[in-house]
Amino acid sequence: MEFSAAKSPGSIARTRREFLCDALGVLTFASARQSFALSRAASMLQPSAKTIVVTFGGGARDDETFAEDGQQNIPHLLQELLPQGTFFTQVVNKGILGHYVATASIVTGTYERFDNFIAQPPPNPTLFEYFRKGLRRPVNDAWVIAPSNGFQRIGCSSNSAFGPEWGAGVILPKRLLSAALPGRKGKDVDLLHLLQDNYEMPVYQPEESEEGRELHLAMLESTLKVSVQEFVEHARTLNSADELSIYIAQQLMHQHAPSLLMLTLHDMDIAHAGAFSLYVDAIQRADRLCAELWRIVQSDPEYKDRTTIYILPDFGRDSDGDPAGNGFQHHRTGGALARTTWMLALGPEIRQGRVVERAIESVDLVPTIGCRLGFATSTGGRCIGELV
Amino acid sequence: MPSWLRYIDRRTLHRRTGVRPDQLKQEDFARYAPVARAFAESHLALLQRLPLSICPSFLQQIEQLDSSFPAERATLQRMCDFLLQLAQDRLTALTEPFREIHLSSQLEKKDWVQAPAEFIAELTAELWSSGQIDRFRAASVALFAAVPAPEELPDRLTLVVLGQDATAPASTVLRKVGRRGVTLTALRAEELSSQIFAAFRRHAEASSEPYAHWYVDGGDPWKDSYRTIAGTVAVSYPELDPVRIQTLSRMEQIVSSGNAGAEEMRARMTAMNAQELGTYTVTADPVLRRFYTELFTQSSGPQIFSTTFVQWTGRELVRRAQPRTLLLRYAPRQRYQPFNEMLREPEPSSLDPEGSLRDAEMAAYYTWIEMNRITAPGKGSYVVWLENTSRAVIIGNGAPGGTESSNPMNLEQALKQFC
Repeated sequence: MEFSAAKSPGSIARTRREFLCDALGVLTFASARQSFALSRAASMLQPSAKTIVVTFGGGARDDETFAEDGQQNIPHLLQELLPQGTFFTQVVNKGILGHYVATASIVTGTYERFDNFIAQPPPNPTLFEYFRKGLRRPVNDAWVIAPSNGFQRIGCSSNSAFGPEWGAGVILPKRLLSAALPGRKGKDVDLLHLLQDNYEMPVYQPEESEEGRELHLAMLESTLKVSVQEFVEHARTLNSADELSIYIAQQLMHQHAPSLLMLTLHDMDIAHAGAFSLYVDAIQRADRLCAELWRIVQSDPEYKDRTTIYILPDFGRDSDGDPAGNGFQHHRTGGALARTTWMLALGPEIRQGRVVERAIESVDLVPTIGCRLGFATSTGGRCIGELV
Repeated sequence: MPSWLRYIDRRTLHRRTGVRPDQLKQEDFARYAPVARAFAESHLALLQRLPLSICPSFLQQIEQLDSSFPAERATLQRMCDFLLQLAQDRLTALTEPFREIHLSSQLEKKDWVQAPAEFIAELTAELWSSGQIDRFRAASVALFAAVPAPEELPDRLTLVVLGQDATAPASTVLRKVGRRGVTLTALRAEELSSQIFAAFRRHAEASSEPYAHWYVDGGDPWKDSYRTIAGTVAVSYPELDPVRIQTLSRMEQIVSSGNAGAEEMRARMTAMNAQELGTYTVTADPVLRRFYTELFTQSSGPQIFSTTFVQWTGRELVRRAQPRTLLLRYAPRQRYQPFNEMLREPEPSSLDPEGSLRDAEMAAYYTWIEMNRITAPGKGSYVVWLENTSRAVIIGNGAPGGTESSNPMNLEQALKQFC
């Protein structure tokens, strides 16, 4: 094992602040806090408030996003979305830096400690369960769109007070497409790039059982109201799995208008193969897709002006200067840069053009959404004052 | 001897589980290869004083000494000798944070003496899941920082060639390294490969130590006879195809078995050895055999992308062989397609020169960072050339960062002027 001196979180925050101020010319409000009372926020936001959480489940570094060299990769986030929202420069993840377990930690608000590589329900209640049980929301009101590697169990916890009865529906776009292509993969070579499942190592997911396939096909037609033929034809027009996820999000919004939707953009985890250009291409795509999602939201009467979107990477990646790592390729060192990322929140009642420098944690998101929407949570995180 | 006994792994005969470092004995290293055994025995007093959370990391390096590069042996020797002669209270202070790491009883029962790598893999997982990884990391940083750097560090020359077949405008590339040095814009493109060879030879002739000089190519290598220079190893991606293809084949077998989780794949790849992958068909040298094998079994990407292969090889060389002269030449990698396709088709169906250039630019920056770690201030010369163009960046003691020189000069003159 090799290790290096860690960069302090303080220096990371300072660097980000400088970059952002230079780039945007916006004022920073280090200690500013909006004083919306919980009850007021809750009454204003219910019952029609919508919440969308977008995570970058590939881990994205400052260097390729909001730092000086990275800003060219995120023109939409930087120029279109950031001025409309509140930007947190330091979101610290103190847990395990594996994508499934880290995303599970984000949705439970508790640092989960289970094996990242085994698909299992989180032991702590999820955001979806708190939301549906707390507000008595119907089954179709909470959905997750996720990459397939383990995430199929993220919709609900194994906690006996909650569980599947209160969980979210989970859609795995790659599994869906795979199910729609039985015995056709040889003919549909042009679609195989949408099926890449796991970038930690160069492997792909084994074939699914016939039962699993039928379940996915049933979901396609009953939930998304899309025929297999239409779905495959649309997939043919796409360049990546993340684009497929956005398409499915749009279908879900159109068919069910869920109040709580979470999706994970995963293409950028190609970084594990060590090809910098592919990693950056995926970040640029995620940037474009975030803006596209915002446009979808603003053009849909069900969502327009009543939707709050939170965009955050699950964590960063190893720093260039850490001898224990290999720069952008992995997230294995546990260094400060790998643990520290950012979050952008935008929507009604969110102050525009604000940059918050103080450190928050990724587990703070769930209690914050609870505070805003008016349901109770019991997590290791805290409500983010600037958002409630 | 009963016939069934022959099938028992030799190391199980020496297995002692639940041993604490302070209980280590010379006999525990009987299975180790000669150099490793001698080293472990002569440093037994140190190993006995280390906590269990760090002792296996030392043993892992010791265990492999017989197939390690001379620089690796020297580094380990220096570190262990330093810690061995350290006053007891100072060593205790440095190792105390490791002693405070809580290990599960299951882990403590492992046979970490005979299988340190397996122990470390499980320790790492446990450190993460128990939330102790940051403490362990901090303790490691402090321990290794206490070891003084060697007094004498050699001059090092690094040459990187990239951009083959790419059409991106020259003025838009090499920006990241360009900030650290002088961008040269008036080199004679048609003469550069022979000038690079001359510079390599000139620098390498100062020392003929084995494994001190390296030429790594991601495609068909230049015809210049690098191998004739004493102490030089030349290797290319196509030359290592037998190992790479065998690795891909094994990976596909694991995938097809239905047990293809990332963790499982990593464990099974790490367990692959040179014999299994046929590395002996590439080289008879046991040090190189291990090195080439691990380039594909302990990495993610070199199996499918030649650009990752070159970068990773450079990284591993800097960490392990600590080359005095290093030439890395990038070639276009295959165009991205789903991994399962790339696993099945070791030969690229089409190439991506533009993406490869962007990969290589970042990789060149990483090589500069890596070389800086083992180079004394003022003793490093670094050149990255955009192949087939008149453009290069040179970083050295006399190269002001972020500047440009349009004066016509050859590489030798540039090295004299800026390094």
